[in-house]
Amino acid sequence: MATTASPTAPVSTHEGVPPLRAGQGHSFLLRKLHSLSGIIPVGAFLVEHFVSNAFATRGPGAYAKQVELLSSFPFVFYLELFGIWLPILYHALYGFYIWFRGESNVTDYPWAGNWMFTLQRWTGAIAFCYIVWHTWHLRFSGVHILTHPDAAFGKVQLEFQHTWALAFYALGIFCASWHFAYGLWLFAAKWGITTGDAARRRFGYVCFAIGLLFITVGALTMRSFLNTPLQPIGPQSGVHDSFAGAVAPGNRLR
Amino acid sequence: MAEKKSVLLKIKRQPNPNVRPYWEEFELPWHPGMNVISSLMEIAANPVTREGKTTTPITYDSNCLEEVCGSCAMLINGRARMACSALVDKLEQPIRLEPFSKFPVVRDLAVDRSVLFENLKAVKAWVPIDGSYDLGSGPRMTMEEQEAAYPLSRCISCCCCMEACPQFNEDTGFVGAATISQVRLFNTHPTGAALKRERLAALMGDGGIQECGYAQNCVEVCPKDIPLTRSIAEVGGDVMKQAIGDLFRK
Repeated sequence: MATTASPTAPVSTHEGVPPLRAGQGHSFLLRKLHSLSGIIPVGAFLVEHFVSNAFATRGPGAYAKQVELLSSFPFVFYLELFGIWLPILYHALYGFYIWFRGESNVTDYPWAGNWMFTLQRWTGAIAFCYIVWHTWHLRFSGVHILTHPDAAFGKVQLEFQHTWALAFYALGIFCASWHFAYGLWLFAAKWGITTGDAARRRFGYVCFAIGLLFITVGALTMRSFLNTPLQPIGPQSGVHDSFAGAVAPGNRLR
Repeated sequence: MAEKKSVLLKIKRQPNPNVRPYWEEFELPWHPGMNVISSLMEIAANPVTREGKTTTPITYDSNCLEEVCGSCAMLINGRARMACSALVDKLEQPIRLEPFSKFPVVRDLAVDRSVLFENLKAVKAWVPIDGSYDLGSGPRMTMEEQEAAYPLSRCISCCCCMEACPQFNEDTGFVGAATISQVRLFNTHPTGAALKRERLAALMGDGGIQECGYAQNCVEVCPKDIPLTRSIAEVGGDVMKQAIGDLFRK
């Protein structure tokens, strides 16, 4: 001490950050499950989803065939439930829990890693909001594309008729790609795969390329939906389709 | 700035933990080679604020004045760093001095950093050599091992890495980079490795290594240039290997 002043009141021992609780709690398991679920199965599904949708670049026929293939998988409901819905829900909810317990401090420490830390939270949140909206529109309302694969292409095209929806798609693809690419980098660093500084830097370039690849594939896929003349959403699409009103009758081929 | 005739300091004061903090401004005559600690010493010699009001000297921790004891860490212009190596000429004025925000304030700029000591105890950050008889000399370490261990041994327990960490707070109770790096140091020591399993198991508890968000502020603020992000990656890998191995072994 440089001066001899002493506290005038006893220091409260209850405030401040608590020390490590060795041997207590389950946060290790839950956090590592969050981390792993981002790669498998959520990340793996993202790859499948981008690849499948990229079939749109080969025309509505190829796209319908791909949708048909996916919908013809055995136990497709359980595959989706345990391979996609529940993992995404867990990854998202635990992700928000992580976010709310952290304290962003980029104003005082405006460094690249800290910005990426903050952006990982924002891109995750935006991607999740997008995913909820996207699945609701494309999967749980309107024509059921699993039973009517040939309606899928037209259904996406209808979505793109709204400028805001189109922008949200672009934003969703960007955020999901970013979150996945940096998530890969984080996974490698935190699970002790890329321990050295040089290894982490090298893998950073790889992840940047992966992110760019996803964004490019997503953009090309979107372009195919926009450049192809509006496809019918099929005779079975029926009157329940919430987008039916958006289609000019002339665009219906049947 | 025109001519450095004077140095302006804005210091957050708090007489005791139970009262609200407030700011006081001080103006000192500039002279070459000033640092934050020497400025605080000058204020102690003449504790008068800029407005001419006589006040108490500023309370702060300090000892070595050459960045090896770790005592004088504080927030300088919002950023965690050592006050002794913070040169006035390189700082934007007024120089804003605050106590660490995530540690209980004792008085003014002095905070209670005992959480780090508790964390080091929790991971058994020592080499176990207690015995009832002479254990003889320890195993030899290769030059390579020594060179890897030495940077880790430079930790001065200043807690800058913890203060700057977005994950280190009362909600997470995150252990912080310093402790994780010490686990690496003692696990790589040939005799210290006897406690390796216990240390890694401790880091799996609540507030353990899993809370790291890899924002990498720790390695940026560390005054001793300790490769903290590397330590987190290495220990993170060891922890995972043990956790997965235990699924089959235990």
